[in-house]
Amino acid sequence: MSFSSRRSAKAISKSLGSRISYDSNPSDDSNSTNGSKKRKTTQKTLGVAWGSSSLSSSRSSFRNAPFSDFGSYMIEKNKKLHRQFDAEASSSSHSGPGSLKPIFEGVSIFVDGFTIPTSQELRGYMLKHGGRFENYFSRHHVTHIVCSNLPNSKIKNLRSFSGGLPVVKPTWVLDCVAAKKLLSWVPYKLDQLINEVHNQPKLSTFFALKSLSTREGSPSASSSIQKAESEDLESRGGTLNDLIYFEVGESSKCSRNYGEKISDDLHKITDAAINEGPAHTERELSELKTIGKASSDNPINSVAKCELLLNPLQRTASTSSKNWDKKSAEGSSSLQLGGPYHPHSTIADPNFIENYFKRSRLHFIGTWRNRYRQRYFGLSNGIKQTNFDANASVTSRMTTIIHVDMDCFFVSVVVRNHPELQDKPVAVCHSDSPKGTAEISSANYPARDYGVRAGMFVRDAKALCPHLVIVPYNFEAYEEVADQFYDILHKHCKKVQAVSCDEAFLDVTDSEEEDPEILASVIRKDIFEATGCTASAGIAGNLLMARLATRSAKPDGQCYIPPEKVDEYLLQLPIKALPGIGCVLEEKLKRQSVLTCGQLRMFSKESLLKVFGVKTGEMLWNYCRGVDNRLVGIIQESKSIGAEVNWGVRFNDLKDSHHFLLSLCKEVSLRLQGCGVQGRRFTLKIKKKIKDAKEPVKYMGCGDCENLSHTTMVPVATDDVDVLQRITMQLFGSFHIDVKDIRGFGLQVTKLENVDYSKQGNERNILTSWLASASVNSKKQHNIHGPAELMADGGKSCSISGEIFLDEVSELPSLHDLDISVLENLPPELFSEVNAMYAGKLIDFVSAKKANTVDFNGSVCSTLQEGVEGGILKEEEDGASCRSHFTNVNEKDEDRCHNDEEIQEASASRVGSAAVVSSVLGMEECDLMPSSLSQVDISVLQNLPEELRADIVGLLPAHRRPNCLLDSTNFSLKKEGERTIMGHSAELGHASKVNLWDGNPPHWVDEFRLSHCLLLNILAEMYVRSVSTGQLSSILQCFISQCQLVVVASDAEMDEATNSLCELVKQYITLKIETDIEEIYLCFCLLKRFAVKSEVLSRVYDIVVPYLQASVGESYGGSLNLSPLIGKL
Amino acid sequence: MERKNNQYPQGEAARILVNFLEVSITSIVFLKGVYPSGAFERGRYMNLVVHKAIHPDLRQYIHSAVNGLFPFVEKGLVERVAVIFSNSDNLPLEKFIFKLQVNQSYASEVEETQFEYYLRSFLVKLSVSRTLTKVLPSDCRWEITAYFHASSDANMSNNLGSWIPSRTEQWQRPALITPIKSMRSEPLGLQLYLEHPSESDT
Repeated sequence: MSFSSRRSAKAISKSLGSRISYDSNPSDDSNSTNGSKKRKTTQKTLGVAWGSSSLSSSRSSFRNAPFSDFGSYMIEKNKKLHRQFDAEASSSSHSGPGSLKPIFEGVSIFVDGFTIPTSQELRGYMLKHGGRFENYFSRHHVTHIVCSNLPNSKIKNLRSFSGGLPVVKPTWVLDCVAAKKLLSWVPYKLDQLINEVHNQPKLSTFFALKSLSTREGSPSASSSIQKAESEDLESRGGTLNDLIYFEVGESSKCSRNYGEKISDDLHKITDAAINEGPAHTERELSELKTIGKASSDNPINSVAKCELLLNPLQRTASTSSKNWDKKSAEGSSSLQLGGPYHPHSTIADPNFIENYFKRSRLHFIGTWRNRYRQRYFGLSNGIKQTNFDANASVTSRMTTIIHVDMDCFFVSVVVRNHPELQDKPVAVCHSDSPKGTAEISSANYPARDYGVRAGMFVRDAKALCPHLVIVPYNFEAYEEVADQFYDILHKHCKKVQAVSCDEAFLDVTDSEEEDPEILASVIRKDIFEATGCTASAGIAGNLLMARLATRSAKPDGQCYIPPEKVDEYLLQLPIKALPGIGCVLEEKLKRQSVLTCGQLRMFSKESLLKVFGVKTGEMLWNYCRGVDNRLVGIIQESKSIGAEVNWGVRFNDLKDSHHFLLSLCKEVSLRLQGCGVQGRRFTLKIKKKIKDAKEPVKYMGCGDCENLSHTTMVPVATDDVDVLQRITMQLFGSFHIDVKDIRGFGLQVTKLENVDYSKQGNERNILTSWLASASVNSKKQHNIHGPAELMADGGKSCSISGEIFLDEVSELPSLHDLDISVLENLPPELFSEVNAMYAGKLIDFVSAKKANTVDFNGSVCSTLQEGVEGGILKEEEDGASCRSHFTNVNEKDEDRCHNDEEIQEASASRVGSAAVVSSVLGMEECDLMPSSLSQVDISVLQNLPEELRADIVGLLPAHRRPNCLLDSTNFSLKKEGERTIMGHSAELGHASKVNLWDGNPPHWVDEFRLSHCLLLNILAEMYVRSVSTGQLSSILQCFISQCQLVVVASDAEMDEATNSLCELVKQYITLKIETDIEEIYLCFCLLKRFAVKSEVLSRVYDIVVPYLQASVGESYGGSLNLSPLIGKL
Repeated sequence: MERKNNQYPQGEAARILVNFLEVSITSIVFLKGVYPSGAFERGRYMNLVVHKAIHPDLRQYIHSAVNGLFPFVEKGLVERVAVIFSNSDNLPLEKFIFKLQVNQSYASEVEETQFEYYLRSFLVKLSVSRTLTKVLPSDCRWEITAYFHASSDANMSNNLGSWIPSRTEQWQRPALITPIKSMRSEPLGLQLYLEHPSESDT
């Protein structure tokens, strides 16, 4: 803020200071400015703006001023000036006549230079009529700049001077006061600027006029015009209507300054239109002409009139508008691109991009493939499948390929309905303007004889062939013919590979028709009969040769190159004829004096690979030998999708370019959706006019440009238009480029990912309808109550099946985030599916996780047979081997596993002397384990998974625990610190009084371990296993995994087990009910599952469930939903 | 900032929780397919792909509802936050309930990363729990409702003015509860479970 005001003040003072210097004494700066303010009020003739000039002279001394710097000084000064102005304004408006609504409300002027009336008078007007008067220019405060004359430098650099604000003549203020209302500033724009703008081939002036007409006309009229306009634009995508509208507007604007030019312009338009359009448009056009003449007097009205006339005109013109499509696109583009100095106007052609691509031949070709794929989607799918088996069996046999290519497709399709043009030179071009700077896109053979080539300017072509007939595109016909063409091909052959809309390969190896030449001629005949256009065919053993054969077959012929003649054909073939060899490569080869394939064959494969790289080298080597291993029928997936516009791109300001980019994004998004893909990498390309480049020869062309591009990657592939727009804006922002220099935009999307086809279609429909409705709503300023309003739409998506949902989550959570319990409980089919999604890693993961359990199961079974003694021996062995590797904690871990098993085995075998055995084991361990954790490398320990770590800690001999835990206070398991050695004397009978889950390990573990019930023993062991979590669910899970071992012997035992378990579970519920019902839920699911196998657990389950539901009801006001899920699990 | 966290871990915990609620409520709404999938875009939260609402009103509703709870979450007054899906008669069909616990006496520093693992598991579990949920009718409605602990003092009730009291019929049925995920950490405890109207009533 301070900076800008300072700068502007400086700029202004520069321009003014030389002329008028109010204060020549820089030394007493503060005095002088104060003085000037005082005098200002008394001496009206003094320019307030001149005050700034004193500043320039005082700049040298401002360091001595009491203000810290110039900026803060200016802020203060501006504040004071505003206050003074406000005070004066309030006094003058009180004295002012009546209580009229101030004319200049919201207007804030800045007067620059000498004006009539003087700036003081203007200030007076502003005071009186509610406006503001700025002494210093600031973009934030000033709305209009008033001046009579501008120096050349400022005109040239208008933007930096005015900051895009309107620059008007002082008469505007006077006229507004006279009219007692705020008039549009546009007619009062500084003459110099009008001329300046007009000199450029831009249409912004027209735009200004248009906004004027709509603003100045009576509200209803203007709104109806606007409405009509927008309707036209919408319904017809802006065709002739736009053109004439624009041209008339332009010319009538011109007429303000160049009255004599108007008739010329209009003559041009009308003449052209009459030439192109049907006769009966003449009347309207002549009317237009008269209006155009009249318009020199009153341009505003005339535009309005033209506008009204256009509706009938447009209707008739639409029949002939094809020729003009391109032109009108120009018109509309300019419409959009002009939008100069009024930041609030957003009137622009919303359809420029659409129109542009609607009229682009390249776009037609480019998007044709997509259309083809949709049309023959099922078909080629089938082909693919048959193709693969066929290929396997047929490779030994000679393949036969036919390459069919329509002869000068774009011309002949148009010409076929004009027999009179049949033998005349005809070329297709989007426009036949007299300027002749349009490029010919295709010429027929008679024209080619004159040397007319594609890409030539029309005027050059006409110079070669004066009677060349130029015809416009007819995209409907192209589509129709292309469809017929492919229908015929598919009828005759199952393996069709489309190359373009007029070109295809057929693999006729398996065809019933033995002779490919006969087949080719049949196809060509059919094509001619169906479409009226001729086609050529090349027949050979592979794609390359077939294509080359077509080259010699053209026009309207066919050529067969049998395998034995391939060499002969190729030897003399110029390298340029080979597909894949363009100008650059040709040039390179020429430098090596390679002109024909025969010469190319001299090179060894190695040298080619070395010089041209692997791919190109290989291709060259193969092609010059007529080798082509590609197969028919492989549809290449497109690698990138994008849209590029480099014609008709002119911007006045940032807003235009933003608007343009937004519609470009829309187009790209539609293309992505059309192809059913989403992309992750976005590249924005900009064609920037080369410095000093002149306006290009080609009308509205891009001329000499430098190409810039920026790329960004997003993590999630998208085709969403909003995302695209955001990304594009970011990219564009990174260019820092003057929009006026932009001559072309391109947005390209790569790293494409396929979207599920069905889902894609679904989504698109919903998305578009939804967006449409949303935008309509927002336009109408309806206050949507988001969720409620959206319900209706929501219904649609409810029907999307679960599969889609799976796709939605296609970015899988990482393995470690998976809930192992969920995975384990998945049905096998589902599991395998999920596993496939993780490319098989899941199995490893689960098995790793389960390793303990599985290992345990296996070893328990085996070791049970070995008996306890054997186990002890083994243990000793292990211990011995372990000691040698003692430093390796992992090893120890493994070992610990064994120990553990032994312990469990010991207890499982229920040998009466279990306690003895374990004490023996304990002794073994005493030797094995370090006497305290301090002997263990803590960092290793800490890097271990939590479970393992807890296992190791848990394995330390019980009597050593207190020490080691003291030692390990820095060790993260703080809870362990509270751990106390539990007395082994606790009796089962006291269970109900003791909180079983207290302590670590909880009381119950010890109790159960000492119990006489095998089931409880096992459970206690399981606790050791799952000690890290200490959760009942994981204990139960381990338990269930070895349930087959559990046999409950006696009733007494069963009662004991049931009671203990019930107590255990109940206490667990109490413990967890507030914080973790998930855990409880899991336990009960496991219990229920296990209840089928164990009577004890089934009884436990039945007893505890009522308690559970009561607890849940108490805490959550409901009951746990156990029933439906059990079935699932 | 760091100091602030030190002094006032509940604020940081509440902030994390509120952010998480916003994400997970959006995920629930997405999961239930109330709106077309086009109303959401993919985004990242805690390194997970989650869905964000694109539509400004939807986003605004969730954002304002959840962020409006912030001061109460901070003080540990919010007991539960429910996402209630109801039919056109406003009878709740399904509730996703977040049960919150913010330990007011916890005093050490809080960082988002310490909850990340847990919160992520919520979102992961949520994304695969579609089978637990019911298919909603097409004309369903949904809302975010917060349940406070009974003891909200007087000056709190001033602030509560902006909250709309819920209809009582939502309370009448005993519900069937299906837990989805629970976590217990300091100073934050969170449980997510589903409530369905019990079978007898339907």
